[in-house]
Amino acid sequence: MADLRTVLYLLVYPGLVFLFVYSTFCEWFDRKVYARLQNRMGPTHTGRFGLLQPIADFLKLMAKEDVVPEAADKRLFSVLPVIGLAVVSTAGLLLPVWNFDLGLPGWTSFSGDIIVVLYLLSLPTLILFLAAWSSTNLFATIGGSRVLTMLFGYEVPLFLSVLSPAILADSWRLAEIAAFYQARPLLLLANLLGFLIAVVAVQAKLERTPFDIPHAETEIVGGTFTEYSGKKLALFRLTFDIEMVVASGLLATVFLGGFPGGAVIGFVHFVVKTLFVIFLLSLLRALTSRIRIDQVVSFSWKYLAPLAVLQLLATILLKGLLK
Amino acid sequence: MSFEIPIGPQHPALKEPISLRMTVDGEVITGVDIRLGYNHRGVEKVAEEKNWTQNIYLTERICGICSHSHATCYVQGVEKLMELAPPKRGLYIRYLVSELERVHSHLLWLGVAGHEAGFDSFFMYTWRDREIVMDLLEMISGNRVHYAINTIGGVRRDLDEGQKARILEGVATLRKRSEYYFHIGANEPSFVGRIAGVGMLSKEQAVSLCAVGPVARASGVARDVRKEDPYAVYDELDFELCTADTCDVLGRVVVRVKELLESYKMIEQMVKGLPDGDIACKAPRKAKPGEVVSRYEAPRGENIHYIKANGTDKPERLKVRAPTLGNYPATVEMLRNGFIADIPLIFAAIDPCICCAERTVTLVGARNGEERLVTLGDLRRLAIERHQSAPPKRNAVWPI
Amino acid sequence: MKIAAFLPELLRHLFKKPATVDYPFRKLEVPKDFRGTPFLDPDMCIVCKACERDCPAEAIEISDVNPAEKRFRMVIHNDRCIHCAQCVDSCPTTPKAMRMDSLFEIATDDRHKLKAEWVYVRAVLKPKAAAPAAPTAEPKA
Repeated sequence: MADLRTVLYLLVYPGLVFLFVYSTFCEWFDRKVYARLQNRMGPTHTGRFGLLQPIADFLKLMAKEDVVPEAADKRLFSVLPVIGLAVVSTAGLLLPVWNFDLGLPGWTSFSGDIIVVLYLLSLPTLILFLAAWSSTNLFATIGGSRVLTMLFGYEVPLFLSVLSPAILADSWRLAEIAAFYQARPLLLLANLLGFLIAVVAVQAKLERTPFDIPHAETEIVGGTFTEYSGKKLALFRLTFDIEMVVASGLLATVFLGGFPGGAVIGFVHFVVKTLFVIFLLSLLRALTSRIRIDQVVSFSWKYLAPLAVLQLLATILLKGLLK
Repeated sequence: MSFEIPIGPQHPALKEPISLRMTVDGEVITGVDIRLGYNHRGVEKVAEEKNWTQNIYLTERICGICSHSHATCYVQGVEKLMELAPPKRGLYIRYLVSELERVHSHLLWLGVAGHEAGFDSFFMYTWRDREIVMDLLEMISGNRVHYAINTIGGVRRDLDEGQKARILEGVATLRKRSEYYFHIGANEPSFVGRIAGVGMLSKEQAVSLCAVGPVARASGVARDVRKEDPYAVYDELDFELCTADTCDVLGRVVVRVKELLESYKMIEQMVKGLPDGDIACKAPRKAKPGEVVSRYEAPRGENIHYIKANGTDKPERLKVRAPTLGNYPATVEMLRNGFIADIPLIFAAIDPCICCAERTVTLVGARNGEERLVTLGDLRRLAIERHQSAPPKRNAVWPI
Repeated sequence: MKIAAFLPELLRHLFKKPATVDYPFRKLEVPKDFRGTPFLDPDMCIVCKACERDCPAEAIEISDVNPAEKRFRMVIHNDRCIHCAQCVDSCPTTPKAMRMDSLFEIATDDRHKLKAEWVYVRAVLKPKAAAPAAPTAEPKA
């Protein structure tokens, strides 16, 4: 019985099926908000209000022909999308929304799981680089080198800003951090600067404008994704959608006070808070234009990293004051 | 590590096929090789088989965005050959459509520049406002693209009071929106960071490489056919020549937005001062022998048509020099020492209308990749031999 | 330079109606005098063939002109037509025999379905005095 429960947990809720459905819903929300900000309609016809459009896109890609370039390393080329999907789905299991008991740490909630989530979210970048490298296409090579260059820019501010609330809450376990802020909601305002930095850094991690340099359509055709088509491209896009959900879930846990109230109310909190973070990401996407790769690195190290360090110092001071 | 990146012929940054082979060293470009001819349609040859009226529609279809420029440049030349004096009202309507076309082309270009830079919201907003101009042109001429308002001797359609009021309304809305876009284009940090200091072309280089249009004006070269050699109604209108000093893509944006504001002024003057009278005069079917060079300031620069007549109802020779062809050597210079990330912006900043510029052909052997440059004399000889040995055809043979 | 200079405008658009139209479920009106597809009013036609001569795309074909029985056959090849309305301008009658309607959604997957044909009996054929000598009854190959 416990085995059946584990299998359902992994495959259905909160496993693959739930992540698939919810991430396509979040992609619909993102596209609708982006379109409305630009005075357009967004998806309308597929399903009511266009809700089924991302699923339709996924199914269409699954049905297309899958071409592997001759010079590419076939095994690496084919297995990378699946690994990417597995990595982000595992990160999704660690979010503190699926019925956690604070007293009993288990496989999905333990001290240090915030570090595991951050690590699992950095792996897709490496997977993208390997995908670009194994494609042996000129445009993909340039895209791959840009992916790694961007990694040097945004990782440090992201880590610093996400770890500040953890330091204030005195714990490395996501469920405990969330519980700390649920008990003292006013302390959330102390992390506002960190929240803004984290939103910008997550936008860079997800490779959306202004940071969609690695797969900049008008410059290097498809960038890292140039040679991918059919099922592999469908899995890559799904990986990015789920990564968006998991990253916004992480930000909602750490900066917006988590998901209190048990199974149903906690789920409602989850939906509302992740949609709020995704709204901010869409707003940022519509607001700016793409910047150059050298400007990303200089922007991150001139502005983002010092501000993140400032936030960290403020947190440490506040912690000393509170004691 | 130096290798060659092919931009084109098929590339998302290009709206039309052209092959730019860039030799790059890391992210810096060291050399560019431009190859044309993917869109060559033989327009100049077809023009010799059609009569003067049919050629208006043929020259219009050299390009979609600057269609009226080509048609008007041609019609100006033919009217000179036939020694016609079109009535004032017809000329005012013709150049009113010219200025509306300039507005539509510059708004299109602003959107494309935003899209190439990744600034999609700007692209959507400028194209939404461009719909106002397209609706006005549809109301005046019956179609959104390829207005076909010219006829030899004047224009084909008249404007009534309701249409004039709607034009003035539309221009007032557009003027507010254009000033807002100017403000955004100059102040949005991520956008300005992309376009400032990119694609430098100094004043001496612009003059020596024969750059035309806003590309030259952004380097401080004050050249505009409407001011130097005013044709038709331009010596009666009050407008300024817009230049900028920064010699980069930001300067080209500034020049085009300033030209938009000047065009709004001119449109209002023309609508309010529209004289009464006929809209066209009768044109003969045949033209006396002679040759004429007709110049026109298209949205992209100076457009030149050379027409030779030999007394029949068909031209003997039509030669088109579109402005983008004049800007290609300047493009090579601008791309040198730039970044790869700047290629689409620099190329888009010359406002390329590649289908206008299809005049040269290099024959590349398909099997062995060897290249042969065929001179004009050889091409003419080959074409004449083929024409003389083929049976005479009255109508075209359709491939179905 | 201001950070987020664009932001107020963006947020304002969140509450406005979209500028795009839900085509093909909702369509916009075309203005008066829109140049759609050409069609013939056979009662007014005098078979002067000016439209056939001036068409840039050779989309009008007049054949089988029979002055004795007063009939002619005109085929308008809408797959070749470029919608310039020069045929309307060249037509010398008042009111005009060639006219433009407002149809523009004429796309189909077989170009032969786009040809419109008129075979008319009892046409009024005026004697051609001033028109240039156009060959009559030229059978198309």
